[in-house]
Order: sequence, then C-alpha cells, then structure tokens
Amino acid sequence: MMPVLKTIKEKIVSAFNVADDVMRGKAVETIAYEVGELDNIFAILVLGAFIGIPSPPIHITMELLPVMEKELGIMLEKVSTAHDPLGDLFSVLGID
Amino acid sequence: MKPQSRFYIGKGGVGKSTTSAITAVHLARNSRDILLVSMDPAHNQRDIFQQDFSEKTRQVNDYLAVKEVDVDYWIEKYLKDTEKTIKRTYSYESAFNLQNYFNVLQFSPGLEEYALLLAFENIIHTFEDKDVIIFDMAPTALALRFFSLPFITLIWLEELLKLREKIYAKKEIISEIKVGRKTIEQDKVKAKLEILIEEYGHLGDHFTSGATRISLVMNNDKLSFSEAFRIKKKLMDIGINIESVLVNKSESRVIPDEIRHEFNNQKIALFPFSSKNILGYQAINEYLDENSEIFAEIQ
Repeated sequence: MMPVLKTIKEKIVSAFNVADDVMRGKAVETIAYEVGELDNIFAILVLGAFIGIPSPPIHITMELLPVMEKELGIMLEKVSTAHDPLGDLFSVLGID
Repeated sequence: MKPQSRFYIGKGGVGKSTTSAITAVHLARNSRDILLVSMDPAHNQRDIFQQDFSEKTRQVNDYLAVKEVDVDYWIEKYLKDTEKTIKRTYSYESAFNLQNYFNVLQFSPGLEEYALLLAFENIIHTFEDKDVIIFDMAPTALALRFFSLPFITLIWLEELLKLREKIYAKKEIISEIKVGRKTIEQDKVKAKLEILIEEYGHLGDHFTSGATRISLVMNNDKLSFSEAFRIKKKLMDIGINIESVLVNKSESRVIPDEIRHEFNNQKIALFPFSSKNILGYQAINEYLDENSEIFAEIQ
C-alpha cells in the first residue's frame, strides 16, 4: 500500500477509535456517576461517624476500614465539594 | 469435641459469681477439666476465691483454672491491630490523617461487648482441651448485648453486602461497555463482608447450638423473677434457649410453683441458702460437702 494511503487509513482508524472511546465513555457517564454516588452512600453508611452521621456498630466500621481507603477518600472529597452539589450533577447531565 | 460453654446470667446481685464458682469447684471435684472465666468487668471471682486473678489463667487446683477477662486489654489490642493493618494497607498520608480518630475510638459505645466477644472467641479456641468452660457473665444489660451482638452484626453485614453487590454489578457493566469484557479487580470490601458474614454466622450458630448452655441465676423474689422472665423472652427472640434455672439462696427445698410453671422446659436446681459467707476455696468445698445430695444431681 502507498505510504499516503496507509497514513490516511491509520488516521481514520485512529479517529474511529477516539470516537468509539468517547461514545463508550458517554454511554457509561451517568451510570459511572451513579456508582460514585452509591460508593459514597456506602461509605457514609459505614464510615458516617467520621462526618457526624450515625453509623453501624463501631466494630463493623473498624473491620471494614482497612479495606476502604478509596471510599474514605471519595467521601471526604464529597464533603469538601458539598457546597456545590448541583454543579457536580449538572456537569454530568450536560446542563449548562 | 469442643468444650462445652456454660454461661451464668441473671440480675445483678442474685449470685451469678457464687453459683458459677460453686459449680466450677463441684465439677472439678468430679475430675472434669474446668476453666472458670469472669466476664463481668466488675470481677467478683477474686473475692470469692480470695485469690488474685487476671487475664492470665491461674490454676486453683489440678482440674480448675480461673481467668478474668480484661475488657480494656481487649479493646486496646483490637484498636492497635486495626491501626497496624491500616498502616500496612493505606497510603502514608491517609493513615496519618486517621491517627487522631483512633485516640477517640476506644471510648465508642459498643466496644465493651465487642471486646467480650473477642475474648470469648479467643478463649474457646485457646482452651479446646477443657471439658467445660464456665462464663460468669456481667449483669443483664451487658450480657444481653453480648449475646445479641453476632445477630445484630449479621443484619448490618447482610444489608451492606446487598448494596456492595449492586455497586459491583454496575462496575461490571461499565467495564463491559468500556473495554468489552468484565475485567474489574476483585472488590476487597465485598470479600471482607463475605468473610465477616461467615465468621459471625459461626458465632451465632455457636450460641444457638448444643455447645452453649445458658444457666439463668435468680433468687426467689419478685424482682429477680420478673427480670429472669424478661431475660428468657429476650434470649428466645434471638433463638437462644435457657438450659437451666438456678435458684440461689433458696431457703426451701421445694421449687416454687411460679418458677416451675414459667420455666417448665428448663432444669431447675436449688442452691440452698448458707448462713456462712461462702468466701475462699475451702468455704466452697464445705458448702458442697454440706449439700452433697443436691450437687450429686448437677453434672
């Protein structure tokens, strides 16, 4: 194949791949947001004592705490952006 | 064969420590290998035996050993172990930020009964060679919280697992759409929840199985009877049956009708009133000698 044609083909494939990635990303954006929220609800249920919400018996918190670094991080991040909860939601739903 | 666990529960002051100590000495006199464990944070066994006991097991004679559960020791040990695990699994920064919380956690409500549960698990695994382990329990409120802890914990864990499974299924959908296959790393929280459910399930089964026997200690008076009735009902709600009723300080040799009627499915034993203080190993032996007819029936 001529080098020019090869380059064009590669660019088309690359563009297609980018479009594919974007579409796949778009397709799961809402569900990914929902997962983030569920993670947060779970973290609040288990680790709520850290932000002043009643939580399960303390030993359950203590047993799960060592495997919940990520969830703890998400929860603390959500707390720090709690002043603008709608902004976060609108950006996911594409509302300007 | 696992050792049998016998729990002595009842209203404060009815004589749980005395009846459990007398039973322990009685069984040891019959060459059964006995461990008597004081689970009451306000330990009485040291006063009854007139000997110093501690978390470390102490032999009273060839067949009888006594141990006092130190709740503070178990809380401290548990917090330290958890802190160590966190330092191992967390990044330095996250672990560092949690440091302050640990200083407060030791005062959290609910840790006391959990510490008793940890001590109980440790004892039944460490003393598998004993014939009988007798637990002299704390008064009603703490004892009931101790028994219900595995069941309450299971309710929480099962609900948390349901939510975790929902999260995991959605993560699988995302992975399938994004990369075409379900390749997400194993959910550590879900795995931990499953392990905990199994552990607490075993513990709950232990309490409701034949390996655990509950002796309800009471006196022949209204207050003690009312509380005994409530204890029976509360334990039945969580599936734990009372095996026997011990009427302590009994002045009569006849079981009162009210007690016989309410506890018709339980063995009832009368521990006769003694005008002397039952203090010291020698005094317990004298009490057993004086009432040998009654104790011949207690196994």
